[in-house]
Amino acid sequence: MSEDQEKFIARLVEKGLTGDMEPINEIQDRVLRSKVKAALVKAKRVAKTQDTKEIKNDVSDKTLPGEQSVSETLNEKIGKMIKEKFPGSLDNENIENYIQLSPDRWFEIATFLKTEPSLFFDSLQCQTGIDIGDNLLEARYNFHSMEHNHCIEIRISVPKEKAIIPSTEQIWRIADWFERETYDMLGIQFSGHRDLRRILLPDDWEGWPLRKDYQEQETYHGIVVPKIKEGWE
Amino acid sequence: MGILENRFQDNIIVEKLDKLLSWSRSTSPWFFQFGTACCAIEMMAAAAPRHDLMRIGMIPRSSPRQADVMIVAGTVTMKMALRVKKLYEQMADPKYVVAMGSCATSGGPYWQHGYHVLKGVDIVIPVDVYVPGCPPRPEALIEGLLKLQEQILDERPLTRKMA
Repeated sequence: MSEDQEKFIARLVEKGLTGDMEPINEIQDRVLRSKVKAALVKAKRVAKTQDTKEIKNDVSDKTLPGEQSVSETLNEKIGKMIKEKFPGSLDNENIENYIQLSPDRWFEIATFLKTEPSLFFDSLQCQTGIDIGDNLLEARYNFHSMEHNHCIEIRISVPKEKAIIPSTEQIWRIADWFERETYDMLGIQFSGHRDLRRILLPDDWEGWPLRKDYQEQETYHGIVVPKIKEGWE
Repeated sequence: MGILENRFQDNIIVEKLDKLLSWSRSTSPWFFQFGTACCAIEMMAAAAPRHDLMRIGMIPRSSPRQADVMIVAGTVTMKMALRVKKLYEQMADPKYVVAMGSCATSGGPYWQHGYHVLKGVDIVIPVDVYVPGCPPRPEALIEGLLKLQEQILDERPLTRKMA
């Protein structure tokens, strides 16, 4: 193939890409015409993949790394806000994954988390408790903001002897039953809760079953609690 | 039937009142419609048309005062144990209990470490028939109920028990 012919084809392909098909169709030589058309198809395909690549890059630039940076800054942002407004409430400087708070001003901080327009955590998704050892009980809160679509985790640990955490029941109504369950299983007292009763176990049950040092009671209303029928296994 | 046999017309049956009573009781043991856990689903399946407990004369009653048989269908927690006992006490004599499923017979999967589960309903109320299974198939429950019927048929309610 001569260089002239190549240049000729390249010129026609350029025209074809802009939508001008007439010079290609006017070629009398069938072999040459088909060559030009094949080159045009190839050129179009290459152009297409480049386009989609560009679009993909755009998308990934805007969402995936962006989201991460937003949530990273969200924890840092909240940490900074809490440090400014409620000094001394942050228990752990490492707030990469969750924010560790002391229980003292939790009610105010919770109110702040819900009312601050840039945070606006309107949904308490989960509240649970855990016995983390070292004589500590921990309440954990997962918040989500439907408006900003961001979420955080708050952890508050208290010693077993003085397991009192301010209740968020009057801020998020769902916390009513969540806190009752945590109280039922771990015995964390939620001060300010308007109806803090056991939710699953009977009201007159003794002890907190999900604590690691739990010993079940011997009898309940005259019924023996531990297994008594030996030799069945 | 001794001296009374063949003394009457063909369509008259002579039988001891004692036996008649136990026969009538055994063929219509109405059961108390209440379930404590997942076994209740199988109990419902047994009562539904495919297995049809009505065939053996069992009708679900919603009041303990109208029921003869209590089918304890499912896990009995400590909280529920007091209620089960109370319901059993509200039933009128003669009354029978069928413990359905592993939990009601022995505590089932909560046998070793379930602090909140009653290790067998026989700790609080007397049980006549145990139906093992987790949960038992409706056929198993029906077999248990047929065993209960046999047991009721053997009773002699009017005969004084000699010590």
